[in-house]
Amino acid sequence: MEKKQNKRPSGFTRIFGRMFLGNAVEHTVENERYDSPSKLAVKRFFRKPIAVTALVILLAMILFVLIGPILMPIDLSYTETLHTNVAPNLSMMSLPSEMKDSPVSITSQGSFSLGIDKDGGVHTWGYYYSFSKNPAKDVMNIPEKVQNANIVMGAAGTDHCIVIAEDGTIYGWGENDNAQYGKDGRMLGEFPQPDELINGKIDVENVEQLICGDQMTAILMKDGTLYAWGNAMAKCMNLASIYKTIKTDNIKLTKVCFTTTNLFGITEDGKFITGSNKQYDFYQGKNTQEYIGNRKVVDIASTGDSITLLLEDSELISLGSIAQGPQIPEGETIESVSAGARHFVLTTKSGKAYAWGNGALNQTDVPKALTKEGSVDTVFASGFQNYAFKDGQLVEKWGLRGYLMGTDDLGRDMLNRVVNGGRMTMTIGAVAVIVSSIIGIIVGCISGYFGGWVDLLLMRVTEIFSAIPFLPFALVLSAILQGSSLQEDTRIFIIMIILGLLSWTGLAKLVRGQILAEREKEFVVAAQSMGIKESRIAFKHILPNVVSVIIVSLTLDFATCMLTESSLSYLGFGVKLPRPTWGNMLDGCRNSIVIQHFWWRWIFPALFLAITVICINIIGDTLRDILDPKSEVEK
Amino acid sequence: MGKYVLKRLGYVLVVFLILSLLMYLVYAMIPYDRARAEVEQYKTIYKNEPEKFEAKYQELRKELGLDQNVFVRYLGWIGVVPINGQYQGLLQGDFGYSYTYDRPVVELLSEPMRNTVFINIIATIIALGITIPLGIFCATHRGGKRDTFIQTATIVGYSIPTFIMAIVFIWLLAILLREGIEAISGLDLNIFPVSGMKTPGSAYTGIQKFLDELHYMALPIIVMTVGSLGGMTRYVRASMTEALSMDCIRTARAKGLREKIVVYSHAWRNALIPIITLVIGWFLSIFSGSIMIENIFGLNGMGQLYIGSLNAKDFEVVLLIQMFYVIIGLLGNLVVDIAYGLADPRVRVNK
Repeated sequence: MEKKQNKRPSGFTRIFGRMFLGNAVEHTVENERYDSPSKLAVKRFFRKPIAVTALVILLAMILFVLIGPILMPIDLSYTETLHTNVAPNLSMMSLPSEMKDSPVSITSQGSFSLGIDKDGGVHTWGYYYSFSKNPAKDVMNIPEKVQNANIVMGAAGTDHCIVIAEDGTIYGWGENDNAQYGKDGRMLGEFPQPDELINGKIDVENVEQLICGDQMTAILMKDGTLYAWGNAMAKCMNLASIYKTIKTDNIKLTKVCFTTTNLFGITEDGKFITGSNKQYDFYQGKNTQEYIGNRKVVDIASTGDSITLLLEDSELISLGSIAQGPQIPEGETIESVSAGARHFVLTTKSGKAYAWGNGALNQTDVPKALTKEGSVDTVFASGFQNYAFKDGQLVEKWGLRGYLMGTDDLGRDMLNRVVNGGRMTMTIGAVAVIVSSIIGIIVGCISGYFGGWVDLLLMRVTEIFSAIPFLPFALVLSAILQGSSLQEDTRIFIIMIILGLLSWTGLAKLVRGQILAEREKEFVVAAQSMGIKESRIAFKHILPNVVSVIIVSLTLDFATCMLTESSLSYLGFGVKLPRPTWGNMLDGCRNSIVIQHFWWRWIFPALFLAITVICINIIGDTLRDILDPKSEVEK
Repeated sequence: MGKYVLKRLGYVLVVFLILSLLMYLVYAMIPYDRARAEVEQYKTIYKNEPEKFEAKYQELRKELGLDQNVFVRYLGWIGVVPINGQYQGLLQGDFGYSYTYDRPVVELLSEPMRNTVFINIIATIIALGITIPLGIFCATHRGGKRDTFIQTATIVGYSIPTFIMAIVFIWLLAILLREGIEAISGLDLNIFPVSGMKTPGSAYTGIQKFLDELHYMALPIIVMTVGSLGGMTRYVRASMTEALSMDCIRTARAKGLREKIVVYSHAWRNALIPIITLVIGWFLSIFSGSIMIENIFGLNGMGQLYIGSLNAKDFEVVLLIQMFYVIIGLLGNLVVDIAYGLADPRVRVNK
């Protein structure tokens, strides 16, 4: 019933229209007749669904590369070694629901996280790429016996996990080529997992701390015994000296932490133990130990390359790459410090959270809710994510959710690079087209308008330029630029100009031909016989007829210039890395391994480049069809 | 006609000379000193005698002609002016010497050129075999749904740069297909090798060698063919459309001839003229090779040699290949114009 009612009025209007305004079809034709050519062209353009779609996509793309870089500015020196070749995913912060109620631990060193819930269950989330393609070595794949056991402690490394069950059994899974767990490793370092921990059991009650680093694991017992194993040769170079210190000085460690290359600890009487490592021996111009003096170190936390010590008088000492601590109001007492892979988080007695360090992936953006008093009591800072709990309940989480387009071989966000690379590619294309169009139009106009020897000379020059083999010559010119000591920005600018200088010939010939043809037409003769000024004829009568050709050529040349830039950059002669363009982002994807396993590294730049160029070409093609009077006649 | 060809040839020569001077000047701008590179080996010999080392350097500069003005050097390269009392230039048949390969450049070119021509001819023949029927089909069904679809597809085809197409085809044919076959039949067949020119360590001869090379070049040829489909289809369609709108076609239709005869006998012959010229132009450009394709697939062709020499700063090779490209381009234009005149008597070439 409703449908019928909807249809009727439209039928009525049609009849009405026919009665008073004539036939509907005729009506539009009449309208067109009185429209100016440009209006007509626009109308006809919007009647083509493919062209309109292309236009919409192109505009969206342009907006994307114009606004994107403002929202996501690029840091050319940025790399993140822990996130190399991460596939597109947004699951890095999706805490399993079982974990939301008083979890035992949440740890992460890289792209995946390991959590132990209060019922002894083990969870992994995030992303891990297993090179060996062996499901047994995939760290996300929790072994069945671990799932069945009641786990009380656990920690995640960069590519392995270690958990301790209630009965004292130690389980490890993930990669173990570097002696991360068990006996299968190739034992690069001299610290294999102790036999008694592989075959025997551990006294769970007595375990003070279980911690994993980059391919390293350490278990600290309440009596000060330290078990540490893994790729000590590369990832824990001071381990032997730490063992020696424990033996000779007869100290009792209460907490340890890993950086990417070393192990550090604090003792029962508040000493900071560094072993043979001298990296963090200086703090604010003084010897670190002297600076600490007699004060006790009560807490220690470390990121990949920096350490924070909490002294008994609530002073924070930040050593290493993260030198600046947070601004904490007077009178606040620090409760504890925890560390992610690149940042630190502290909670105060009054229940506030502060974060500092490298916040490139939003790790340090503490939500507003946590700056109020009494809003938080525990923060699990793990890897690049933070989970804040109050009375065992999850209140907030912040940090890196994941990468929409994955990351490249240096851990850089592909989305960021696609956006910024797009801007570079489009800018180069646009500038090159503008340069080539200016030259082409000027040469074409002068040549067509003046004729005679000027025409002859300019056309010979044009022919010489068009005889230059484009890509090879562009390659040579950029090779020359590379040899010079120019700044990268200047070099890119010169590349734009060169691309423009090499591609104006087509347009010049086109414009010249068009002007020559238009000059001979009757309407020009008529205008001349009416005594209209020469300049007025040129600009009012001839130019509008040439403009359509120019617009079409501009559009199609824009696509060509973008492709040329990409090809040059792809061959390594255009814009250089680390500055991204859609072309040079594909440069590193030439081998089958990348094409096969890291598809996101080539598919996104390729897709964006291809779609943009296709849209521009469709628009240019449609414009040519519309603006070319001949094509209409044929229909 | 003869006069016209002579005139055009003279013109080609003039343009060539201007361009070669231009190129030579550009190359002279490259901040690279051959004598400095050559003299490095004497560094240990004249360790404690900087004057002798400097003298050796100057001697080498003189030997290589680098102490001369750049224009004199250019004329020497052409072979009109003697360098160090010797005429050794293009006119004397001395096309330069490759320092990285330690051979005359001309010897260097034969193998890459053979490969380049090989893949280009095959790719062009396959592409023509596909595009001509497709173009005719589009022209005869102009404006229809299928035509619109193919037109859009051809835009997509010529919009996608070669390197993206190559990556996609490597992914589809060399990786997914291989994995698929392995999953189904358990055989690890390398149907489309991704790089190289022949089976490593093979010593095939005759037809077996040819087949082996074809096997290795299959993927580049496919990529090249697909890459040229878009542009060529549009060209064939355009010339066929042009031919179909001629008066003679209307006459033929008015006579009541069958549509097949109209299309293939009357229209096609007229459309053939621009297509023939296109094909001739195409065949000339095959010598210059495809820089992108050869670079991606690691084929030993002209383009690869060019990029390799550019990276190795072996500029005599680069310069010669560049001039070769120029000549091919100029002669290509000339041949196309002449062919046009021969194929279509209505076109007056000497106009």
